[in-house]
Amino acid sequence: MQYCTKCVYPAASAVKLFFDENGVCSGCSVNAEKSNINWDERFKMLKEIVEVYRSKDGSNYDCIIPVSGGKDSHYQTYYMTKKLGLKPLLVTYHGNNYLDVGEENLKNMRNVFDADHLIFGPSVDVLKKLNRICFKLMGDMNWQNHAGIFSTPVQMAVKFNIPLIIWGEHGRLDLGGQFSLDDLVEMTAKDILEHDKRGYDWDSMTDVGLKKLGRPELAEGLTAKDLFCFKYPDMEDIAKVGVRGIFLGNYIEWDANKQTDFIINDFGFKISPEPFERTYRRMSNLDDMHENGIHDYLKFIKWGYGRASDHASKDIRLGIMTREEGIEKVKKHDHIKSKDLYRWLKYVDMTEEEFDRVCNTFRDPKVWWQDEDGNWIKDNIWDDVETQKQKDEQHKASLEK
Amino acid sequence: MLKKRLIACLLLMDGQLVESIGFSKFLVIGNAIMAVRHFNAWEVDELVLLDINRKQNYDFGRDDVNYNNKIKELSELIRYISKSCFIPLTVGGGIRSVEDIHKYINAGADKVSINTAALDNLEIIREGSKMFGSQCIVVSIDAKKQPDGTHHVMKNFGTEDTGIDVVDWAKKVEEAGAGELFLTSVDQDGSYKGYDIYLVSSVANAVEIPVIASGGVGEWEHLVEGIKKGGASAVSVGNKFHFTEHSTMHAKKYMRERGIDLR
Repeated sequence: MQYCTKCVYPAASAVKLFFDENGVCSGCSVNAEKSNINWDERFKMLKEIVEVYRSKDGSNYDCIIPVSGGKDSHYQTYYMTKKLGLKPLLVTYHGNNYLDVGEENLKNMRNVFDADHLIFGPSVDVLKKLNRICFKLMGDMNWQNHAGIFSTPVQMAVKFNIPLIIWGEHGRLDLGGQFSLDDLVEMTAKDILEHDKRGYDWDSMTDVGLKKLGRPELAEGLTAKDLFCFKYPDMEDIAKVGVRGIFLGNYIEWDANKQTDFIINDFGFKISPEPFERTYRRMSNLDDMHENGIHDYLKFIKWGYGRASDHASKDIRLGIMTREEGIEKVKKHDHIKSKDLYRWLKYVDMTEEEFDRVCNTFRDPKVWWQDEDGNWIKDNIWDDVETQKQKDEQHKASLEK
Repeated sequence: MLKKRLIACLLLMDGQLVESIGFSKFLVIGNAIMAVRHFNAWEVDELVLLDINRKQNYDFGRDDVNYNNKIKELSELIRYISKSCFIPLTVGGGIRSVEDIHKYINAGADKVSINTAALDNLEIIREGSKMFGSQCIVVSIDAKKQPDGTHHVMKNFGTEDTGIDVVDWAKKVEEAGAGELFLTSVDQDGSYKGYDIYLVSSVANAVEIPVIASGGVGEWEHLVEGIKKGGASAVSVGNKFHFTEHSTMHAKKYMRERGIDLR
């Protein structure tokens, strides 16, 4: 396995990386652009965009901010209300698995910011069904959350006729360098369908949709009526309203750690009182108790790395962690099968045996192989040269088999 | 007067769609099928698909997705995407022989784009245009500005200077039977500063066949310049169409509003 020479990402990363001649990944190279960007100029560009969309006659909201209640949501809303003087409508897709502290943060938003807040909660029965279907179909029990987060606010933009949507960072740009910061990439139906929804559309999980996918055995009786909130609006509706989603991360120098300190001190944001098993950060993913847990464990099952690699790579790029420290975090957290699993199994009525069996169908043979005793093996970023050589040979032999 | 065309250029590396910055830095945008489906719906006139693979390293496309992310062979990819492509599709990359042309056309390409093979032996253009017709043969030229203001034809993904003057080369391939030229400025590629207008106009003025301007679009105004100032018959955009919603529709609207008669 090739690892980035600067951060801790493996080539098998969920966001496909490009490595330069020095073995530095595209995520690092895009983050390194930050120091060469004229951020004053970017701020001017942001102001110009915002002025176009500000409701001049006061008849409507100025923009929509999709919020989970997390650290980025708080910072986006701070920036739009206090720095730019906008009246946003906050829109939340509520996936029903909030941590208590996450729920508290969500409620905090309309207390500390002058903003109305619309919270959209899909039927819990439908959510449970989607958890089961998506876990078995693609090894991700949280697919519906990605679909909802990127569809519900866009629907509201159309319904309320509010064209401008303010997102935080473009996640894949930051993690893997999917785009350059000079691209000023915006929200598109194409990017969302391909990457956030992974090519599955809103109606893929209906009985009819699953039949079309060749997986009728996963059907749970869902119909189109159950899944409206996962539907990205039609091209015509987007065009009619002129919906435009921009990413704040393209216009301001994003630093999650500094921003979090700021919103804790000034706006009462709370980090998790408990440490997570699968990462060392306590400020991220508080809107879903499984996002840092077994949802992320599936990433380890698929590609052999997890949230600690994500967070360490971010912190290495921000200059607050060395690569060696990052590797220690990876070693400690990435492989953990976290305890939230038992809550999830109860939530969706599944046994641990079935969970493990389904998990193993998603192991990427480019990453994993089995030894003679049936143990799953992968190479590790901390393996010494000799071990790596031995493992390479074992892996090759198993691939040939 | 023929109608002008707007072209989306899709660059492929390791089977994945990439954005190219100065022919040297690449970022992986995703799978070609999604771009093909959306750009078709977004009213672009033609698609050009160029495989710029160097290492043949197809590993690690995630496969927990509802599209084929594991295709390792260009003709297989052409077959896959051409089912969703209802506009002319030009394919280039690694074409070395008339058999290769045949293979790609068979897989679903409407035209092929030839670069290195033509520089190695012009015979492929003569034979190809005889067999498949000139309209099927696009010659792709990567040009680099020289200190004296002229441009040289570059080889090997823009890294090797052939010393050949671009205008001389354009005339030569036209004579050999090329139906169209896909002209990329190595200097402007990924710069978002606009086409090299001098390059476009010097080639467009020297040949009768259509010239497609490529490399450097950052504003829709650059498309208008490529046609009005450069004299291009068609304008191509690589990176920028991936960045905004309904990008190609907005680009066409902008061009039409400035009096360009588009297809």
